[in-house]
Amino acid sequence: MAEVIKLGGNKKSYIINKVKEILPEGGNLNLCLTCGACSSGCPATGLEEMDPRKFLRMAALGMDDEILKSEWPWMCTMCQRCIYICPMKIDIPQLVFNIRAMRPREERPKGILGSCDMAIRNESCSAMGTSPEDFTFVVEDVLAEYQESQPEFAEMQAPIDKVGAEFFLNQNSREPVTEPDEMVPLWKILHLAGADWTYGSKGWGGENYCMFIADNENWEKVVRTTAKQTDYLKCKTYLNTE
Amino acid sequence: MCMAKAINYEDKVRETKINIGSVILAPGSRGYDPSSLDYLGYGKYPNVVTSDGFERILSAGGPYYGHIMRPLDREEPKKIAWLQCVGSRDTNRACNGYCSSVCCMYAVKEAMIAKEHIKGDLDCVIFNMDLRTFGKDYEKYFLRGKDKEKIRFEKARVHTVTEIAETGDLKVRFADENGEIKEEAFSMVVLSVGLQVRQSAVELAKRLGIKLNQYNFAATDPFTPVCTSRPGFYTCGVFQGPKDIPESVTEASAAAGVAGADIAQARGKDVETIQMPEQIDISSEEPRIGVFVCNCGINIGGIVDVPEVQKYAATLPNVVYTDSNLFTCSQDTQEKIKEKITEQKLNRVVVASCSPKTHEAMFMETLEACGLNKYLFEMANIRNQNSWIHSKDGEAATEKSKDLIRMAVGRAATLKPLVEKVISVNSRALVIGGGIAGINASLTLAKQGFEVVLIEKEDGLGGFARQLNHTIEGANIRTYIEKLVADINSELKIEVLTNAQVSGFGGYKGNFETEITIAGDSKEKRVIKHGVIIVATGAEEYTPKEYLYGEDDRVITQTQLSYKIEKEGAKKLSGVVMIQCVGSRNSEMAECSRICCQAAVKNALEIKKLNPDTMVYILYRDIRTYGLLEDYYRQAREKGVIFIRFNQENPPEVKSSAEGILVRIKDHVLNKDLEISADILTLSAGMRAANTDDLSAIMKLNRNAEGYFIEAHVKLRPVDMPSDGIFVCGTAHAPKLISETISQAQAAASRAVTFLAKPTIKLSAINAKVDPEYCVKCLTCVRSCPFEVPVFNIEKKVIEIDEALCHGCGVCTAVCPRQTIQLGFYEDNQIISKIDALLSGGV
Repeated sequence: MAEVIKLGGNKKSYIINKVKEILPEGGNLNLCLTCGACSSGCPATGLEEMDPRKFLRMAALGMDDEILKSEWPWMCTMCQRCIYICPMKIDIPQLVFNIRAMRPREERPKGILGSCDMAIRNESCSAMGTSPEDFTFVVEDVLAEYQESQPEFAEMQAPIDKVGAEFFLNQNSREPVTEPDEMVPLWKILHLAGADWTYGSKGWGGENYCMFIADNENWEKVVRTTAKQTDYLKCKTYLNTE
Repeated sequence: MCMAKAINYEDKVRETKINIGSVILAPGSRGYDPSSLDYLGYGKYPNVVTSDGFERILSAGGPYYGHIMRPLDREEPKKIAWLQCVGSRDTNRACNGYCSSVCCMYAVKEAMIAKEHIKGDLDCVIFNMDLRTFGKDYEKYFLRGKDKEKIRFEKARVHTVTEIAETGDLKVRFADENGEIKEEAFSMVVLSVGLQVRQSAVELAKRLGIKLNQYNFAATDPFTPVCTSRPGFYTCGVFQGPKDIPESVTEASAAAGVAGADIAQARGKDVETIQMPEQIDISSEEPRIGVFVCNCGINIGGIVDVPEVQKYAATLPNVVYTDSNLFTCSQDTQEKIKEKITEQKLNRVVVASCSPKTHEAMFMETLEACGLNKYLFEMANIRNQNSWIHSKDGEAATEKSKDLIRMAVGRAATLKPLVEKVISVNSRALVIGGGIAGINASLTLAKQGFEVVLIEKEDGLGGFARQLNHTIEGANIRTYIEKLVADINSELKIEVLTNAQVSGFGGYKGNFETEITIAGDSKEKRVIKHGVIIVATGAEEYTPKEYLYGEDDRVITQTQLSYKIEKEGAKKLSGVVMIQCVGSRNSEMAECSRICCQAAVKNALEIKKLNPDTMVYILYRDIRTYGLLEDYYRQAREKGVIFIRFNQENPPEVKSSAEGILVRIKDHVLNKDLEISADILTLSAGMRAANTDDLSAIMKLNRNAEGYFIEAHVKLRPVDMPSDGIFVCGTAHAPKLISETISQAQAAASRAVTFLAKPTIKLSAINAKVDPEYCVKCLTCVRSCPFEVPVFNIEKKVIEIDEALCHGCGVCTAVCPRQTIQLGFYEDNQIISKIDALLSGGV
């Protein structure tokens, strides 16, 4: 940050104004009372010597270059604690999101960028790039193992593409690949609760890194894939586990 | 339940028809209920209380009898946090966009009282966004809390309150000014809850067809602040908008004034006068004293052995009757006392209860109702000066009660009937100052049917407001003043004297004589006789010495800015910087000028309206847009006005340059220096009372250190001055908005009417009399009287004390070296008898 911040001259078209235009009520972005309630609840406060209040302040003062360069927006977890507590209901998460979207895609953080790319590789929408076939195989294999080794769960099911199930369940992408046993506790709960549920072979990947990377197009693609599969299976309720 | 049996539990709803000409709505408010704000833990953690709950804890009549304890374990707290703006200035969770106006002041007060009650160490922290102590003398109180009592003021809105299970203490999480997250433990947390209109009041307004604003306060116009949307219906207090006690009391008088003006012709009708019996001549009787000892519920009876005290009183000389009562001040006890006075032929009455300040007048009326002269009465204060103080030692309190009663009985025997002189009242009013306050006071008086002489030192009416163009609400001040002037000119009961100043003064309440000098070649002098005075001398804008004012013509005041943008628009302005608290809240002028924050916001909004591209920066210490003004502060932020906070210790630095005025300030959020280049630097210059040195010397009217006139009682008599028949309003009293000035002017007129409406008044018999036989004319009394009442009559060669002017303070009586001055009701032998009675107890 510059030692002295120079202000003056006519109002320029700052980033904050562009973001305001696309948000309902302008996201209340101008209303800050600088009370600090947001900063005191934010998990990213102190990282990069930044916090939500400072970030919003920089936007308000038109420090666009600094904001676009900052890595801090990528440290936001989108948890929305700030907007919950803010007396002016300022939509800081949307400001963060839209600033992320202003960075060229290839310059966005590699980890989540890669996960988004994986998700759009096939119709699983899995951040690990797992195909529908591989997912189906792993689920059936793990299920058979538990039905056999734990007789009290011999009747347990883990259906895939069951038409007319009450619940459509999605799944963290990492588990079928690295920790398949981690899928089972939820199956057990659903079994004991007598829930009528199903996975989809398509759109089962629960997380949406394309949203976090602020890639609107692919975020939509991931959501549409899973929604389409839910509709196709005629499920009434979508259970988001992520 | 009620020990005094004052409540009729069998009472039923009744419908009664009454004929009325106007209605005043004063349904008040209730505190905001913070239960729904889950992060504050109210209702979940016992040691989180609301501010009204804490008031109960502080109260002697409260759950812990005034000992400060926390609800969980009845432990004395070591550290208390106040959280401001709970249910105020919050459009997210609380849905109340306004500021409640009173919470900052009461939080400071609660912290001060808590520190006073808890003698040991008590840490108090007040978490706030802006500290809003904008009322008269409030800033000094805040400074006392901060600097002397060491209350800590933390600029933060608290995120969450959680309980520490082992101790019941509360963990308060907030971000400090550097953005660092802090967690601090407190024994108690007080939520400073805001004011809110009751649902029942909303329904009442609906039934009556009264318009409410978006927050359910009665909709009013800035120029008719106590008029509701329906003719004949007036309002006052918090229902009109958030406000504190002095302003509510003022507004109540204003509402009564304008409501009374509507029905002025009916004044005096439907009045029932109490017929007092002929006075009994007791001159030949020996004293027969009745003593009535009060239990005051448990206030006295819970500590003092009242039956024992009553028995003792019966043994005292001249006492022929004694009694004790649960509440001696209750209506049925008055009846009982009257009965006993007659039955026992009592000719002196002693009540042993509380303070004569509050109850003496009422008991005196009881005596008069039986034909006894009211000055045959004496009180012994066995509550405030006894049971409350010695609450831990009942035995000592009982003995002291006996002493106090013995003294009262001793004095009672020496009392004699006194005659109160009746004087007539001149029903004309003199109003000093022809600004918005003076004109409104005059018009209200005229509408009530009284003649007014209004004097103005300038050659035109309107005062300082002539320099203003519109209010923050957008109401046009110039057309308003034009209308006022037209109204006053067409009002036959008002005589306006311009270029006129007070040059001489005499007389007393109800019968003043003021000499007016009219400027000009002839220096014409006129003497006006009048019954009351309303002081409305106003205030002016401070002329800054700071920030290059007067050196660089790009540096102007808010008033000048307002004029400039009205004339030139804002198209040419690219950047405007405003600096708040110029000439206020500093070592030279401790007080807040109250109006400058809204003036800055008003002008900023006007600039943004004329040219949205102009950047406006407001450099402030606390933004004090109290009450509904908060909406405009929010609007200003919405329009992109940038607000930057600074401390008194680190004010902005201002430099002149060819490109513009360069203003350097540290941003309070980023902690980085900002350099702002501005076309115009506007100084929010505070208010200064008009120069009234001559006036206050001639009329002997007291002013405070800032030059504002002093009211008789800050809360209870906010527009009365200490001397009877003299009232104050507008900015002569303290800085205030036009709407507030108008209601205060109407209030002053209303208070004056209570005086003028009576053809005669009775003077108190408590006044000083000189015995010319023994007086050596040493003039000690003349020099000592704080009111300059004793005068030496050169012709008659005697000292004269005018009983109409005498305040009955007793100073002359005490200083007279020959004891030739006696104060009625407090004659030397009456006081000595008290001392004798005390000593006869063998002290």
